[in-house]
Amino acid sequence: MDTLIQVADAAKFLAVGLAGLGLAGVGIGLGIVGSGAMNALGRNPEARDAIAPNMILALAFTEAIGIYGLVTAILLIFVA
Amino acid sequence: MVKLVVVLALVLAIVGILLGAIGSALLGNDYFVPIPEVHLAPQEVFTIGGFVVTNTLLSAWLTTFVILLLFGLGTRKMSFVPGRLQGLLEFLIEALFGFVKGVAGEKYARKWFPLLATIFIFVAFNAWMALLPIYPTVGFTKEGSDHITTHLFRSAGTDINMPLALAVIAFIFIEIWGFRVHGLGYLKEFIRIGNPIQMFIGLIELISHFIRLVSFTFRLFGNMLAGEIVLFMMTFLTIIITPVIFYGLEILVGGVQALVFMGLTLVFAVMAVATHGDHSQEDSEAESH
Repeated sequence: MDTLIQVADAAKFLAVGLAGLGLAGVGIGLGIVGSGAMNALGRNPEARDAIAPNMILALAFTEAIGIYGLVTAILLIFVA
Repeated sequence: MVKLVVVLALVLAIVGILLGAIGSALLGNDYFVPIPEVHLAPQEVFTIGGFVVTNTLLSAWLTTFVILLLFGLGTRKMSFVPGRLQGLLEFLIEALFGFVKGVAGEKYARKWFPLLATIFIFVAFNAWMALLPIYPTVGFTKEGSDHITTHLFRSAGTDINMPLALAVIAFIFIEIWGFRVHGLGYLKEFIRIGNPIQMFIGLIELISHFIRLVSFTFRLFGNMLAGEIVLFMMTFLTIIITPVIFYGLEILVGGVQALVFMGLTLVFAVMAVATHGDHSQEDSEAESH
């Protein structure tokens, strides 16, 4: 019985680590958004007022996906 | 002079790391700051009748009180040439209104602005007030432990009910405006009669409208909770100087998340009231400000 509890705990921690793996995609996505904004800004520095708020919005959208993974990990650790 | 301050800050930072968790583990001392306990659910502070008041609810009340006090004091003796507080509040309102008008156009900006500005100010003030020193230091201790187990105030965004309530308000706002402008024809977005692909797209539209509830809630909740955890952990690991950097990050995140919540509600509302005929007119309105 004790071994079963230990295996369940080990599985829980593995699951938490796997939930964190999704953040790799989010990191790449954020880099792509930033890179697109930098390219546009480099081509046309006067368009700063048009690019900057849209970039922040796109960053927040992408970040939210990473937050979903983080919330899953937190839920697993503390509730499950 | 600057060099002296930098050297002093570096020395204090190293002292902090040594006194904190890493140094304590290496040198074998007791932890200087107690191990932070992370709670997902809010903790109860007191009960009125049968109604449980949690520390996040108390903190939301405090934020509301501060907002009302600030705006009440600022608008008491309003003059055409504003004084300092009124000028500051006017700057905030004008900046928000410019943003809303830039996305929604003049006609809808006036009607939508009260709700959107309230969402922004409420979320931003809740996030920023949680960085004040009274939030982590005032609380109740349990019997037999010498550190705080239940804080008196806790950032209202870390309780999932507040982001959920705001998400429900935003959802109802968007749908009501969709029905107001299009009447029952608003349902034509979701129920498209035609080939199966059109019907499938309509179904996806319907699901995506409801998923907004989940995404709004978890975006704000996750950011606020993760920010609180990061601050606790950094204060636990390195006691001084280094957490200041993370307080700066939390100021930025609070402001950005408020802006994103308002901006997304605004964009979805614009999409809900858009009639597919006058896209070009709306685009030129947005560019010409």
